[in-house]
Amino acid sequence: MQAELAIGPPASAGRWPATVVARQTARKAVRSGVLWGYVFGLYLATQALAYASSYKTVSQRARLAKEFGSNAGISALVGPAHELQTVAGFTVWKCLAVLAVVGAVWGLLTGTRLLRGEEDAGRWELLLAGQTTRRSAAAQALAGLACGVAALWTVTAVITVVVGRSSKVDISAGGALFLAVSVVAAAVMFLAVGALASQLAATRRQASAYAGAVLGVSYALRMVADSGTGLGWLRWASPLGWIEQLQPLTGPHPLALLPIAGLTAVLGLCTVRLAGARDLRGSTFPDRASSVAHTRLVFGPSGLNVRLMRPSVAGWGAGIAAYGLVLGLVAKSAGSAISSSSSLTRALSRLGAIGAEAYLGVAFLLMAVLVAFVAAGQISATRAEEAEGRLDHLLVRPVSRSSWLAGRLVVATIVVLAGGLTAGVFTWLGAASQDTGVSFASVFDAGLNVVPPALCILGIGAFVFGVWPRASGVATYGVLVWSFLVELVGGIVGLNHWVLDTSVFHQMSAAPAVSPNWTTGGALLALGAMAAVAGGTAFSHRDLKGE
Amino acid sequence: MGAMAIRTEGLSKYYGSVRALGDLDLEVAEGEVVGYLGPNGAGKTTTIRLLLGLTRPTAGRAEIFGLDCQRQVVEAHRRLAYVAGEASLWPSLTGAETLHLLGRVQGRVDVTYRDELIGRFDLDPSKKVRAYSKGNRQKLILVAALMTRPELLVLDEPTSGLDPLMEQAFRHCVHEARERGQTIFLSSHILSEVEALCDRVGILREGLLVEMGTLAEMRHLSALTVEATFEGPVPDLSRVPGVGSVEVEGHVVRCQVRGTIEPLLKVLAASGVQELLSREPSLEELFLAQYGGSAGTEDTPAHAG
Repeated sequence: MQAELAIGPPASAGRWPATVVARQTARKAVRSGVLWGYVFGLYLATQALAYASSYKTVSQRARLAKEFGSNAGISALVGPAHELQTVAGFTVWKCLAVLAVVGAVWGLLTGTRLLRGEEDAGRWELLLAGQTTRRSAAAQALAGLACGVAALWTVTAVITVVVGRSSKVDISAGGALFLAVSVVAAAVMFLAVGALASQLAATRRQASAYAGAVLGVSYALRMVADSGTGLGWLRWASPLGWIEQLQPLTGPHPLALLPIAGLTAVLGLCTVRLAGARDLRGSTFPDRASSVAHTRLVFGPSGLNVRLMRPSVAGWGAGIAAYGLVLGLVAKSAGSAISSSSSLTRALSRLGAIGAEAYLGVAFLLMAVLVAFVAAGQISATRAEEAEGRLDHLLVRPVSRSSWLAGRLVVATIVVLAGGLTAGVFTWLGAASQDTGVSFASVFDAGLNVVPPALCILGIGAFVFGVWPRASGVATYGVLVWSFLVELVGGIVGLNHWVLDTSVFHQMSAAPAVSPNWTTGGALLALGAMAAVAGGTAFSHRDLKGE
Repeated sequence: MGAMAIRTEGLSKYYGSVRALGDLDLEVAEGEVVGYLGPNGAGKTTTIRLLLGLTRPTAGRAEIFGLDCQRQVVEAHRRLAYVAGEASLWPSLTGAETLHLLGRVQGRVDVTYRDELIGRFDLDPSKKVRAYSKGNRQKLILVAALMTRPELLVLDEPTSGLDPLMEQAFRHCVHEARERGQTIFLSSHILSEVEALCDRVGILREGLLVEMGTLAEMRHLSALTVEATFEGPVPDLSRVPGVGSVEVEGHVVRCQVRGTIEPLLKVLAASGVQELLSREPSLEELFLAQYGGSAGTEDTPAHAG
């Protein structure tokens, strides 16, 4: 009879083996929380500063407030506007709903990644073989997630307080701290939703889909509540509605924190209970363990890749389409309301853009970020195939490394291109439904225009994957977030052009406000292609590396 | 001997200054079944990953059927199949989809044999991989490798997680493969498995191949164990040429003999021996002798052959 190998405690168990799950989860959650804290904080800061510098006079501010204060369509999308004639009111209106959704997505993805994902990867098995029970492991993971939230809030709060002290912005420290609480509240609730979904579902993907459905319903309920149809009470039925009720800065309502804290606590308790009641790697809901074989796509590495990425690409595609549609729907009113004294619009109108096109030109920066996320996701998925040992099964067969990687990059390129086209087409559909008067060609080109930066990031990711595989995820997302922050901050505080030039998004022209510059687009593509070729060569000549 | 299925020359792998494998010269002829033994961390998996081109050697080279393991990877891989000890597969695919995929990638499947293997290993291919136990995932990659009827099977602790019944089924498959003339390179730390299946055995220690030969050759190097029971008092055997490790327990004496047994037999015959047992050393004893008894505690397939 063979003797199973004894598995010792993981090397990082250190002196406190009983809290190893908490510490490992906290380490990953804090890293991500800090990064997103910068995004949240800088987004709040740039919106506040942009308003302060663009709308200087009382009359400009009053006009903005009049135009947007009672626009039911825009209320439905981002919540009602309060006190748009103040920096505080504008900042809350511009940021709260957007960051709540971003925070919720971060929360549900982080929650499922650090609970279900770690469990699926088999890392909990090692830990639970020791002295930790499933229930205690789940409780520890929740504690780790709480550390991530603390990091997210701290960074957001510090930046908000610092910017609030500026005389132009003038937000009190207390107000800024409460604003930071409101902004991360959605992240807190959806971390808990993700954690609970991780107990219910059989895979991380399924868990993310459940949590995503909860987010979708919450958003839809809040949207109906804010659409001015007399269903305002529905706001209390949606976690995103509670965040709106907090009304930071303009009319703070700390009592709305009660349902937020209550929901989080209940979800946390259920998570711990269910974790104790099910098997490791098992699910609470019955799992469809068997299935008829669908062999149409599994003919080789590329087909397999397409089959495995289908659900997540569909999710991203739906997100891009929805965002495009929303942009298109609001472009007309947003464009007409943008004050002609805004420095950005002045700059754009010098180039001949006005109204809706100017608005879309600015808004498409976020679209470019979204599409770039799809590209970065392809790199982490590529690395995961290697790190988790699945790639071995292909490469020990007659498959060369270069053809495997090239196949993946080609599929990723097609996905990114499809993302750009989806962005363009759906934005146009939204715009056309409102008779916005932007041409299909210009919006379509704007969709294509976001493709080169994303492909450049894909190429850089492939390079890091080839040269320094264990850093591929961090480096790729790092380039993306860095590029976004530099572009965001650079627009407000005139950064040195050498710094600005490190942002791939800075190289992208603000289409459809101006026509795309295909030369710089081509340069980004060439840079990405060269990086990818170098990465592919390095990959062919290195050792395969596990985690 | 025909052409070489595996040949390495000075194959070495260092991680920094740590030696994972040093200066390995190995030859496996076509049709041979070779066991590759060593405790954890001795370099077995390192050797196999170098042979498969998954890692790059620090020095030396390796060939499979005369094809360079680094430069002619695809051609070499057409002729082999590999089974890892740890099967991490795509959790959302079913067993059948996984076999379909791996068969298509390999480009050659004996469908009748595949179905026979599925039955023999009692595998339910309609299940998703994530619903399989570790043992079932292991069976899946065994079927995936065997169904292609490769010229060379490279097996790295292939039976980890299998129950004894399935291990029997595995041995049966290896016997079949051997009869068909397939070459098998079996890395294992289950000594009974290697002893039952292999023509030749190599023993690795800290990255170095310290022993290579047939079991008979290796036994020759080692001692024969003799146990004799006497009616009367036990004679002093310690001075008999070739005899060592003498242990006396009442009327029974146990000792080891190197070289010819004739001097011992003469002494025994003269002392009224009642019962005489002798046996060749098992692979386990050879292995433990090689490791000074320190590494043998985790594998104890008690064998008296």
